Amino acid sequence: MDIFLQQLANGLTIGSMFALVALGYTMVYGVMKLINFAHGDMVAASAFVGLTIYTQVLGQATSLGAVIAIFLLSAIAMACVGILLERLAYRPLRQAPRLSAVVSALGASLVIQNGIMLVWGPQMRIFPELVPQVYWDFGGVVISLIQVLILALSLILMVALYLFVEKTRMGAAIRASAIDQDAARLMGINVNNVIALIFVIGSSLGAVGGLFIGLYYRGITFNMGWQYGLYAFIAAILGGIGNIPGAMLGGMLLGLFQAFIAGYVSSTWADAFTFILLILILIVRPTGLLGERVAEKV
Amino acid sequence: MKNLERFGFPAFIIVMAILPNLLNSRWQAVAITFLIFTVVALSQDIILGKAGMFNMGQALFFGMGAYITAILNSHYGWPMLATIPVAIILPAIFGILLAGPIVHLRGDYLLVTTIGFNIVFVQVVQNNLGGITGGPNGIFGLDAINLFGMQLTSQLSVYYFAFAVLLLTLFVMRNLEKSKAGRALHYLREDQLAAESIGINTRIYKIFAFGLGAGIAGLAGTVFATQYAAVSPEAFEFIQSVLFFSIVLVGGSSIPGILLGVFVMFVLPEIFREFATWRFFIFGFAMILAMILRPRGIWPASFGKIPKFLIKESNHGA
Amino acid sequence: MAHNELILTNVTKRFGGLTAVDDLSFTVRDGQIYGIIGPNGAGKTTVFNCITGIYKSEEGSIKWRGEEIRGMTPYQIVDRGIVRTFQTIRLFSQMSVAENIMSGRHIKSKQNLFHGILHTPASRRDELDNWHKVEEQLEFFQLSEFAATPTGSLPYGVQRRVEMARAMAVDPTLLILDEPAAGLNDSETMGLLETIFKIRDKGVTVLLIEHDMDMVMEVTDYLTVINFGKKIAEGTPEEIQKNPAVIEAYLGSEDDDE
Repeated sequence: MDIFLQQLANGLTIGSMFALVALGYTMVYGVMKLINFAHGDMVAASAFVGLTIYTQVLGQATSLGAVIAIFLLSAIAMACVGILLERLAYRPLRQAPRLSAVVSALGASLVIQNGIMLVWGPQMRIFPELVPQVYWDFGGVVISLIQVLILALSLILMVALYLFVEKTRMGAAIRASAIDQDAARLMGINVNNVIALIFVIGSSLGAVGGLFIGLYYRGITFNMGWQYGLYAFIAAILGGIGNIPGAMLGGMLLGLFQAFIAGYVSSTWADAFTFILLILILIVRPTGLLGERVAEKV
Repeated sequence: MKNLERFGFPAFIIVMAILPNLLNSRWQAVAITFLIFTVVALSQDIILGKAGMFNMGQALFFGMGAYITAILNSHYGWPMLATIPVAIILPAIFGILLAGPIVHLRGDYLLVTTIGFNIVFVQVVQNNLGGITGGPNGIFGLDAINLFGMQLTSQLSVYYFAFAVLLLTLFVMRNLEKSKAGRALHYLREDQLAAESIGINTRIYKIFAFGLGAGIAGLAGTVFATQYAAVSPEAFEFIQSVLFFSIVLVGGSSIPGILLGVFVMFVLPEIFREFATWRFFIFGFAMILAMILRPRGIWPASFGKIPKFLIKESNHGA
Repeated sequence: MAHNELILTNVTKRFGGLTAVDDLSFTVRDGQIYGIIGPNGAGKTTVFNCITGIYKSEEGSIKWRGEEIRGMTPYQIVDRGIVRTFQTIRLFSQMSVAENIMSGRHIKSKQNLFHGILHTPASRRDELDNWHKVEEQLEFFQLSEFAATPTGSLPYGVQRRVEMARAMAVDPTLLILDEPAAGLNDSETMGLLETIFKIRDKGVTVLLIEHDMDMVMEVTDYLTVINFGKKIAEGTPEEIQKNPAVIEAYLGSEDDDE
């Protein structure tokens, strides 16, 4: 029972981080039908940016105000990178075949990943301890303050996003663009702005995710985004790509699954089991857990 | 264009036949890998370029062929040449079996399952399942090819072996293009519903594409195992699949395109090895630029190769 | 007797809460040129999609030559001699006219998968035979000059001919045309008319959907009129023209005759 609860706690934490990153993938895909392979690397970049803000700008302050500043500044920085990415690598390919944009995304991934390496070096860096190391022990199950904060903040952000997309006009514009870009344009929606917005939101959420990764795992490397991004992408697919609640669900499920595999089986098989699970789910539900079949007009 | 195709091909053959004699050892190795990667990329092209299926896991079949050769040779003492049929057929069968449950998936979902298969394979091999895959270090100390009593140990002989495999692959690709099956792949890629509605069993042909692509990639795996007399898991990781995927799209779904793609995506970075740290940073920009300038690849597929007796008077196709 | 007859009995197709085809029955006899007409959105294309296997109707039976084809996949139905064209042209636009027509020879070709890897004298013979069949269709539909041209770059009227040529290359027993005159001008429509008669003279039964009333009256032997998925009338063109329910359906809903 102990192991179960411990892995549950770990899984929820990891799952929230996956969910935040997965949202970036799913929002971009929903509107542009593009797999933004560079997203994972942007998440990694935000951890490094956060590190630099901490050391260079804030002089290693760890007050609450400083922490909030790190989060805000990183999010803004990554939002800018996101917009730049869209403008340079994706907008010129709007009319091109879908796979061309995928290759462009892969190229962008290389650029960002190696950019990180060029600036911060290839070795692992240690992310600052911004949150006090407080632990609670519930009869063998250890939960840290970091875990609670990650889970709580992620949930708040996800709920906020959900409400934004469902209840606001801008959110409706996003949903409309995801269903039919041309029709949305004809209805007077500025699709370019919508796209810029989803990159801002996706990148910011990803930035928060990146900072959480830094806080949770402490060690950050320039190429961690690739692996992490792949998992988050899997989570988005699992939930039904393009579907926002799906990305949240997929992220949580993936985190829980990985935690349980690591706890009960072994971590050397974690990847294999994760993918086998994914393949099985897709065979049964070809468009993901919450995904919708898109009907074709004949 | 026609002249280029007519003379370009024999010229290419002659150049490649002479080439290794002009290169030093390091560049001979690069040339051998160029040949091997071209074969894998061609196999990837069958699935991705011709049949239009988002496959990002071709390194799986490449690795399977390599490991089959390695295991049969080092554990069971098979001569290297004898492993070739198995290294083609087993991956082909796997390709067919794996494709069966997934070919109906929509593009991006299919993409992710192929990535999954690749990653599962690498992890299985790394964890030394059954004790025969050698774990993270792989298997080494493989024999050289024994041809009619001659041991082909020199790098030059490995080159010509790889070259022969490439020629065989090009032969098969050409046969595919001028056949019912090859055309069926094009039709189902362009418009699956129309293809079904004109009588094509698209499912069978998609599975066929996977099986054929897997078999050819498996053969390339044997050549790889021969080149290094060893195999290891890292050579077949998902990132390699990304490379093969990119080669087909950057180069274009044609034979010249694939060759150019391998050159751009593999040989060029080798040439710029001195710029070690900046290499891939610049390369990423190059990929983005390549797609913006040539979205369908440097040398895309062309159609309209129909028998001459159908072409009347002055209207010529592409 | 397995006549070349298509018999629909009580066919019903629903999409969620919408009943697109409602208890529809009609029979197409060997050698007829049979028309399905009705106001826009009446469910005509849905009926065709049910016949050709793109949809599976919830209820009813669709029998071709005595065999139940409801539930079969599109390619299985082509294998039994039924081919269709689409309302929106669905050609392989990057490929040439000849290659498009060649796709129609797929089901008749005797090659198997192995011949995709290695040719044999038999497969080479098969290739040549089929390209000659393509040549026949190119001539019949006057497309010879466009043989090597990518279809996507051709005018609409020519593309329509290519689609029909592709369908005819299958050597069908029943040809199903979904609004073949859509987007054609008057002279092109006349040409289409002649073509349909020539096709029927070859022994092919034709089932078509059309909106162009003049053409329908000229070319069809028999009609079924559908509105809201239900049959409201059937008969010869002359009978249909006078049928009050039909007149009401057309005038009541919209004035859509050219």
